[in-house]
Amino acid sequence: MVHRGPVAALTLMAALACARSGQLELVDLDGRPVRPLSSGAARVTVFLFTATQCPISNRYAPEVRRVYEKFGRRGVRFWLVYADPEETPPTIRRHVEAYGYALSALRDPHHTLVRLTGARHTPEAAVFVGSRLAYRGRIDDWYVDFGRSRAAPTTHDLEDALESVLAGRPVQTPTTEAVGCFIPELR
Amino acid sequence: MSAAPRATRRRAPRLVALGLALAVPAACRARGGDPERVTFNEHVGPIVFRNCAVCHRPGEAGPFSLLSYGDVRRRARQIARVTARRYMPPWLPEPGYGDFVGERRLADAEIALIGRWVEQGAPEGDSARPPAPPAFATAWPLGPPDLVVGMTEPYTLRAEGPDDFRNFVIPVPVVGTRYVRALDIRPGNKRVVHHANVLVDRTGSCRRRDAADPGPGFEGMDLLIESDRFEPHSHFLFWKPGAPPYEEGPGMSWTLERGTDLVLNMHLFPSGKPERIQAALGVYFTDEAPTRHPMLLQLENDRALDIPPGVSDFVVTDDFVLPTDVEVLGVYPHAHYLGRDLRGFATLPDGTRRWLVWIKQWDLKWQGVFRYRQPLLLPRGTTLSMRFAYDNSEANVRNPSHPPRRVVAGNRSTDEMAHLWIQVLPQGGAEAGLVLQEALMRHRLARDPGEFSSHFNLAAALQSLGRLEEAVGHYLRALEIDPDSLTARNGLGTVYLERGQIAEAIRELTRVLEREPEHLFARYNLGRARLSRGELAAAEREFRRVLRSEPDDLDALYNLGHVLARRGRLAEAIIQYEHALRLAPDDADTHCTLGHLLAGRGDWETAVRHYESALRLNPGHEEAREGLAQARTRLSRGG
Repeated sequence: MVHRGPVAALTLMAALACARSGQLELVDLDGRPVRPLSSGAARVTVFLFTATQCPISNRYAPEVRRVYEKFGRRGVRFWLVYADPEETPPTIRRHVEAYGYALSALRDPHHTLVRLTGARHTPEAAVFVGSRLAYRGRIDDWYVDFGRSRAAPTTHDLEDALESVLAGRPVQTPTTEAVGCFIPELR
Repeated sequence: MSAAPRATRRRAPRLVALGLALAVPAACRARGGDPERVTFNEHVGPIVFRNCAVCHRPGEAGPFSLLSYGDVRRRARQIARVTARRYMPPWLPEPGYGDFVGERRLADAEIALIGRWVEQGAPEGDSARPPAPPAFATAWPLGPPDLVVGMTEPYTLRAEGPDDFRNFVIPVPVVGTRYVRALDIRPGNKRVVHHANVLVDRTGSCRRRDAADPGPGFEGMDLLIESDRFEPHSHFLFWKPGAPPYEEGPGMSWTLERGTDLVLNMHLFPSGKPERIQAALGVYFTDEAPTRHPMLLQLENDRALDIPPGVSDFVVTDDFVLPTDVEVLGVYPHAHYLGRDLRGFATLPDGTRRWLVWIKQWDLKWQGVFRYRQPLLLPRGTTLSMRFAYDNSEANVRNPSHPPRRVVAGNRSTDEMAHLWIQVLPQGGAEAGLVLQEALMRHRLARDPGEFSSHFNLAAALQSLGRLEEAVGHYLRALEIDPDSLTARNGLGTVYLERGQIAEAIRELTRVLEREPEHLFARYNLGRARLSRGELAAAEREFRRVLRSEPDDLDALYNLGHVLARRGRLAEAIIQYEHALRLAPDDADTHCTLGHLLAGRGDWETAVRHYESALRLNPGHEEAREGLAQARTRLSRGG
């Protein structure tokens, strides 16, 4: 596999994203289609990939709630995304409730958003400005590997990215490597 | 007629007791060869079922199940990654440096096989030949426990923040002395419990700490249990994920008594949501009193722990020369988040080195007790050594302080510890254990002559060895260091009592009771002191006060009965002994004493029944035999 630098990779993905993201279609927990990027306006949308049984993304739930509370009131739209097709809506509902998420949950059973963003882990964040992918990667640097976490994170990558896009500035580091459970590949 | 008083309860001290228990199925090796096409059914499934499924199943510690092809395929890439890094299955000791029970460690070939399987698309293989699904013991692997005790109220672990180290006091309702052969520790919510230690608290010291701390349990990573005597045996009572309950070896039961608490020391790991924890303990009794007395030796050097910020290789050592032959049964290395490389080894008198354990990548999360498949026999004169290295640099991601700061020894997670617990079986009977304890405490005092607990423990060991004058010296030294220690002062009182210095004993015990009127050991011992002076009314008062707080205290019942008998109040005395008999029906001495008391009242018929019971329980009971003969004679004469 050819190694690509993170910025180049994002440019490529962003180009793809621009072409198709407006039509991006996911499903809600009732199976209804949702087009989260269809508004067309330069609105900021955050997708947070998660999974019901991933201990790392579960440990991030309080941080996700904090980021949501902080930026939700500033007009940023947040979605939780469950990308494992084997996770059923009732399981997901119980998960959302148990971890106290106030975010709406979507399913990505065909990995449309996974492919669009290049996300590979839970947790991993993707930030769109309108239909343009502006950031994809970790929430912060709390985890450095499976089983290796800092006492507290020293960077806040997702928050920094959101501050940038809300200020109309380019995101300094548009992709980062997330640490977490792998999103299962489709069969 | 004689109603024999019972011996003074020794109530002599020792600090520091640690309990721990474990064992795990043996790791196996992959099938031989180097297959071209790797499949789940033929290759990977058996490896996962053998090594992973024990935790990765419902109700166990793993966050998801790995019980079928579907389970494993979904997480195939992750499994390849975590096994390649040896994060899973978690097993800290380096192979070849100690041969442990329940080693759960994959062979390099197994890891390579999993990697190739994932590269090949994680195929299932011949669906007609799936691997045998793993079978697990049901609810209680050792069978239904004789007694189940648990946390009196549930504890709620917060959703986030640093790891929580919490202790819960679990009272155990036993009467008299019971012998325990196994403890099945059920942490209650295994996904958030990294490990659990059970400690035996015979003095209620943790109960008092718990009362002083709001909410269920109390905080603290490492627990110092106050003990009021030399523990004749100590055990690792330990739970870690995937470890089946451990049954002590033959002759190695341990004792539970009325008033003993088991203290659950747990390392809890916030999960992202509030978690409810209510642990339980299954207790398995045996009728067999311990005949072999293992001890937990602690190598440590907390005093030397003063790690400057930025230093990545700070080494702490301790070396102790064994005064007796021992068999080493297990080890429990312990450090906090800065610990990096932990080694324990033994140097035999001829210079040969025998490894006890080597952990190259310490991770507090997976700490555990490691028991040897075969005990290691170490001769007298062997040096036991601990070499622990710490990383207090920024490069240690687990460093709790950012930027790093100076770290010293302590009980909080931001402090450090350097402990290597070694369970040994001293060779040469009960006295060998005391000799070992004496040597260990002297070793600690050589390093730190001002350490309270070493003086205290040494005094307790000397008291048990019958070296009472030396014991007095070390109790006094301990009390110079901590004049407020009621446990040490009670200990001093008991040595005076044993030496027949009754005035001194009464002085010390009274001082304890002035400070803590509910110190029942001191109260009991004061009763004994009064009794030995023949001050029967005063003795009666003290024993009654003990019984007011602890109505079922057997020793106090026996002694009160004895006092009442000597005061000529036979009817009242009989009531005390009958009460004692209800609590401990199989005590030949109680039957015999009751026989005497009833004979004294002319109730020969009942007296005969008790003498007969005493002889049934102990056919060699001479006093009962004589009593029975007399009573029968009287009966036949009367009849």
